[in-house]
Amino acid sequence: MIDRKNARLLTAAALIVFLSTLAVLLGRQFSLGRTLPVPPFRAFGPENAPVQIYEYTDFACPACRHAAGKVDEMLKVFGPGLRVSFKHYPLTGIHPWSLQAALYADCAGEQGRFKEYGDLLFAGQEKWALAKEMPPEFEQYARQLKLDWPKMQACAAAPETLRRVKLDMSEGDLRGVNATPTFFINGRRAVGAGQLLDQAMKFDNILRSAAKP
Amino acid sequence: MNKKPEPREIAGLLARLAVGGIFIYAGAVKALAPAEEFAYAIEGYKVVGPKLALLAAYVMPWLELYAGALLAAGVYTRFFAVFNGLLLAFFELLLAQAWIRKLPVTSCGCFGSSGGNSIQHELIQNAGLLLLTVAAYRYGWAYSADRAAGGADA
Repeated sequence: MIDRKNARLLTAAALIVFLSTLAVLLGRQFSLGRTLPVPPFRAFGPENAPVQIYEYTDFACPACRHAAGKVDEMLKVFGPGLRVSFKHYPLTGIHPWSLQAALYADCAGEQGRFKEYGDLLFAGQEKWALAKEMPPEFEQYARQLKLDWPKMQACAAAPETLRRVKLDMSEGDLRGVNATPTFFINGRRAVGAGQLLDQAMKFDNILRSAAKP
Repeated sequence: MNKKPEPREIAGLLARLAVGGIFIYAGAVKALAPAEEFAYAIEGYKVVGPKLALLAAYVMPWLELYAGALLAAGVYTRFFAVFNGLLLAFFELLLAQAWIRKLPVTSCGCFGSSGGNSIQHELIQNAGLLLLTVAAYRYGWAYSADRAAGGADA
């Protein structure tokens, strides 16, 4: 039989466990954890820009292709006020080659052409996204950009490359990402290009004042 | 009315709060980050394989968080002082074997993957925390849940 003292202590323990669990789960919900840094080739804009956007994207997703154009426009318009960091979130359940595409894009990034390779992946999305076998486009784009294809293949097969992409995916899961593209604009979530522009409007003053020469 | 705590009890309380607080912080930082991140740090010690490292990465942050919070609150103070001490001793063993084997551990994983102290630094820091758990075990009753619930379990 539990005496009164132990009953009180067990109640206190249960309460502490419950409250600390709740605090962490709420912290996850509100993205209070540190955002993992992205490799330099996946970040665009000045490091200390007042508006920081993290984009969870999938090269095989049509909405991501549409959003990529908007992001490029925003980078052009708001230049110094904005930094966009790309995070991979390949929806492997519906896009069989998106993980592979993310790996190759990072490997193109290692050779200094992440953006260009990513643009080609988006542009040719319909050709490779639902291919039955390994799409030849991955190599074709690499050759088009004069990248070292054997080096890219070795890079894409390296555990470190996969690890980096998987970390992005786990981080996305933890932050409640369940659709692409999902953006976090100074911590505020937006899903899709429409919501991105709506959220960005809230930072309009900051963006414009930073963009002034 | 409770009598005023003695200086050693105040020291015990501070030790309890320090060790508990550090465990809460270490657990929360890791629980708020992807488990894979901590798992990669665990793999760096080359003691367990990827699957076990991932399992440990899911469990350990919560264990640290709960053990730290319960110690800080003074719930079963002695039990949780020993429990936290055992965890620290285990971490010391892991660090020591990595140091002896000269493993290239770039992030100890102690507080997530941000900031990486050298293994020697972490060994000394953990040894200091171990001493504090001894103080918490011996004199950590002041303002504890144990005392509030009806006497210390000394």
